[in-house]
Amino acid sequence: MAENLQTIIAQISEIAAEFNKDIQQTKSRDDTEQVKVKFLSRKGVVQNLFVLLGTLENQDRPRAGAELNRLKNDIQNAIDEKLKSFQTGKRSIELFDPTLPGKEYHIGSFHPLLQVLDEIKDIFVGMGFRIEEGNEIETDYHNFEALNIPPDHPSRDMHDTFYMGGKYLLRTHTSPVQIHTMEQQKPPIRMIAPGKCYRKDTPDASHSPIFNQVEGLCVDKGVSFGDLKGVVQAFAQKMFGKDAKVRFRPSFFPFTEPSAEYDFSCFCKGKGCRVCKNTGWLEISGAGMVDPAVFGFVDYDPQVYSGYAFGMGVERIAMLKYRVNDIRIFYENDVRFLEQF
Amino acid sequence: MKVTLKWLKEFVDFSLTPDELAHALTMAGLEVEEFYTERHDFSKIVVGKVLSVEKHPNADRLTVCTVDTGDGQFSVVCGAPNVSPGMLSPFAMNGGTVANGMKITSREVRGVKSSGMLCSEAELGLSERAAGLMVLPENTPVGLNMEDYVGNPDTVFDISITSNRPDCLSIIGIAREIAAITGTSLKKQKTTFAVTPQENIDDYIKVDIKNSFKCARYSGRLIQNVKIKPSPFWLASRLHSVGIRSINNVVDITNYIMMETSQPLHAFDYKKLAGKTINVREAVDGEKFVTLDEQEHILDKEALLICDAEKPVALAGIMGGLNSEVDNSTETIFLESAYFDPGNIRRTAKKIDLFTESSRRFERGTDPNGTVFAMDRAAKLMQELADGRVLSSFIDNYPRKITPVEIDLSVKNTNKLLGTNLSAENITAYFPALEIGINKQENDLIQIKAPTFRPDLTREVDIIEEIARLYNYDNIIPVLAPPVNQEQEANQKVNFKDQVRHYLAGFGFKETVAYSLVSEKLAEPFIPSKNEFAQLLNPISRDMAGFRPSILLSLLTTVAYNRNRQKSNLRLYEIGNVAWKDQQKEGFTEFTQIGGILAGKSQEQSWYGPEESYNFYDIKGAVAALLHKCGINGYEQGQVVEPFWDVESSSILINGKYCGAFGKFNQDVCSLFKIKVADIYGFFINYEELFENRLKDKKYDPVSKFPSVPFDLAILIDANIALHEIEKEIKNSAGPHLIKIRLFDFYKGEQVKKGKKSIAFSLTFSSKECTLGDEEVEQAVNNVLAHLNKLFGAVLRPG
Ligand SMILES: [Zn+2]
Repeated sequence: MAENLQTIIAQISEIAAEFNKDIQQTKSRDDTEQVKVKFLSRKGVVQNLFVLLGTLENQDRPRAGAELNRLKNDIQNAIDEKLKSFQTGKRSIELFDPTLPGKEYHIGSFHPLLQVLDEIKDIFVGMGFRIEEGNEIETDYHNFEALNIPPDHPSRDMHDTFYMGGKYLLRTHTSPVQIHTMEQQKPPIRMIAPGKCYRKDTPDASHSPIFNQVEGLCVDKGVSFGDLKGVVQAFAQKMFGKDAKVRFRPSFFPFTEPSAEYDFSCFCKGKGCRVCKNTGWLEISGAGMVDPAVFGFVDYDPQVYSGYAFGMGVERIAMLKYRVNDIRIFYENDVRFLEQF
Repeated sequence: MKVTLKWLKEFVDFSLTPDELAHALTMAGLEVEEFYTERHDFSKIVVGKVLSVEKHPNADRLTVCTVDTGDGQFSVVCGAPNVSPGMLSPFAMNGGTVANGMKITSREVRGVKSSGMLCSEAELGLSERAAGLMVLPENTPVGLNMEDYVGNPDTVFDISITSNRPDCLSIIGIAREIAAITGTSLKKQKTTFAVTPQENIDDYIKVDIKNSFKCARYSGRLIQNVKIKPSPFWLASRLHSVGIRSINNVVDITNYIMMETSQPLHAFDYKKLAGKTINVREAVDGEKFVTLDEQEHILDKEALLICDAEKPVALAGIMGGLNSEVDNSTETIFLESAYFDPGNIRRTAKKIDLFTESSRRFERGTDPNGTVFAMDRAAKLMQELADGRVLSSFIDNYPRKITPVEIDLSVKNTNKLLGTNLSAENITAYFPALEIGINKQENDLIQIKAPTFRPDLTREVDIIEEIARLYNYDNIIPVLAPPVNQEQEANQKVNFKDQVRHYLAGFGFKETVAYSLVSEKLAEPFIPSKNEFAQLLNPISRDMAGFRPSILLSLLTTVAYNRNRQKSNLRLYEIGNVAWKDQQKEGFTEFTQIGGILAGKSQEQSWYGPEESYNFYDIKGAVAALLHKCGINGYEQGQVVEPFWDVESSSILINGKYCGAFGKFNQDVCSLFKIKVADIYGFFINYEELFENRLKDKKYDPVSKFPSVPFDLAILIDANIALHEIEKEIKNSAGPHLIKIRLFDFYKGEQVKKGKKSIAFSLTFSSKECTLGDEEVEQAVNNVLAHLNKLFGAVLRPG
């Protein structure tokens, strides 16, 4: 027997009214459960109406379906609310225990090395440096030659290099990024290059064949060694606190002249401790004024421009900061380690 | 490089304590790694006189000696071959302690009572000479405590010398630095010695240099009548302090002078040189030569050889030959002191992998004008310590004269580069001690002459470094200048990567950083063919044979590592570079990948719910969330190409381009990583694509002020129609007010007809202009239904 839309709509209103009456009279969980069976069970009042839906004309079905769905939802909500009202009353005295643990979250985290790197990046970006990145597989030219380290140069001994065939190798420092940047840009330049570097070291507590380095470069007219000292000192104080002191010692790198090693004052404030081997100073890395020969490779005029460059090992700083005594731990990714950061 | 305080003081006067000296040298660029005063415990060790030596009754190699200490006589069992009646030797009495910590007591040796011990230099820690007893000079008082004999202990400094300072691979070089630091000058050492007159060295030997580039200078002296014997104690012990073994007097003298001057010397046994000739020539390809250490080397034509009339006798600058070595019967020495081209020595040493104290100095650059001085210092010692007679005339072939480099130094440039305010006088004051000469000086310009023992000084900037070093870096005032380039833009590629890291950490992933070098075995499933593995030519191990081809390889390694430590539920990510060997052209393709991993359970059994394991839709959800955050709304899925995925997997296509994949790792790849339970899901996305497709300019889309209208739509549809297709068509047909589609129910199985699926969407309609009426929503839904019906044969699901 075909039904028409009006009768269905009318029946929906009737059922709604009946339900409202019933639900108001319920006084307990059981009463409510009975109302639920009457209206929502498989043979309940609402389900019967859904069956009738199939007998409607096609164009009427969505409207009726929508109305019926709304009714079903309203009934369900009202019943849930009622059931809850009985429940909460009870739980507030008997079942509620505020000391149960909250639901567990998945807690994300950043790797400690990259947290330190983020901090370093922030400090230098704040001082007007732009971050540059480059490939880890480099050419001999960019890793060595353009940095004034010709083939057969004794200082190549310091860079125990992984070779990949042809002119390719794994970069031993992030300094090739300086060269790429200078090849593409004219001064003024103020950049840092963070990234992974590779040296053929057998892994032990203080050596890793893979490590992270940040190299900085500033080139402009009239840049001096005093500027280099200023920037490195500002960095030390931002990283390790206002009391941090910096010491520069002469050294040798083929791509800088004058060259320096720089140390930060130890946390023991010069008293001497195990970390600084009783010297009061922590060796950080190398720095210096860009060697004019390097400018030659990138076509900058050393009569016009001067610059400074500096490097630092991220692991070294992270080890000092977090008191990690074995560099390998950073690369094991033991979650018991990671979740501490 | 090790030096001792007493040795330095032979060349420069200074009053710094060892501590102050170490600091001063370090601050001048000669980093003192450690310094220590040699300590010997000589209590109860005295000069003993061996009165008698008798054979031990029960042992062939032992003797029983009577030793007099002036205070008494002792019977001692001794094993030294050189023990003889009358000799003086250190004697450790009972209760004394020798260098290895052994305490001397009375004991029985093979049935004979022995008290005390006669000692070698090694046993007292004075040198490494252990083969026989230390022989003391005849006039040494018996019973003298050894401390009084040896004198004050010396202090040894171990200094790290940078490769640009070959001059500091010597006592004199370091003494010169001390002179420069303390403002004094070097004490010149005499090289005078008696010579045999009226003899011409040309009658004894001729030197012919065939290649004056590789050998610019060759000096030599003939010393006759030498007696090869052990070095005196002072020489052996001084070499011992700086780490050199004592061999015999002649060899020790050449080493001693090399340590003193940085000029390597070589002593040939003159009678082993055929034809009274030295030829300095290049090797022929494939020429073989046996060095002193009895190793045979195959040379190429780059290598330089020192030859006699018949054969090579030394590998120039690196090591002498076995065939011309000084031995105990040597009577005449030909002493070589030469200058070889640094680059050539380095290349040869590297090729044959033979690095010596000599090659270390030549390859960094010795002083071409210092050969005769060093040779004469050695000749003097040979006369004194080996009874040698030095021939008056000597060889000095110098075909390619090397003169001091002249450099123009501007005071202005110096101050500009250093940020200092030094006067010309301040600057030139540093030069005398460094032996830097001044040719002329006018106004701003100082024309200087760099000494030839300083090959590192060739340009103005090199001199500026010398000035800075001696002025002391500490005195340069730090300046914090404003940024030089305020208008430069941030690097978006770096910043966006950091944003992605924040998104993933926000989704509860922990960041990892793994070694990017991996084994070939693990790399295999991640590259199409073995040829594409970015292999290293010289790996340190098979586990680090090449560059990782996929970030997922690192993440699976991390999973395996943690699972071995009972951590099986993991939610990790890594962003890093991966590389493949290029097949088309020589080289490599390196790119950045983002990878994530979900392993094990997402929720452990808890008081509020049962445990739940990660599944395909967890990883898909993570990918969708990441793409959403990057403003990439809409991506397509396709077949994966990588062989490590299980059937539950899908690729990620953005604008039709394959740029990543996600899904479950198959059993094979898990087994390869020794992961027992294959319940790992992962994703990777190539960073470049994500960066290129990110939403660059986010613009605010005003939210509606009017209430939205929900509508639930349940349909039956062919099971093989992809959900994103259906959603696309709903959007296409629902009109402008549909703002959200959300699937809330899905069913496939017995309850619906075979080949169909039942799906239910919650649709949300909203208009920015008005409150939507029921009719408008109904109309929209009707349109959707009709459209889906026409396109896919979808029908409304019966309640
Ligand atoms: Zn300390």
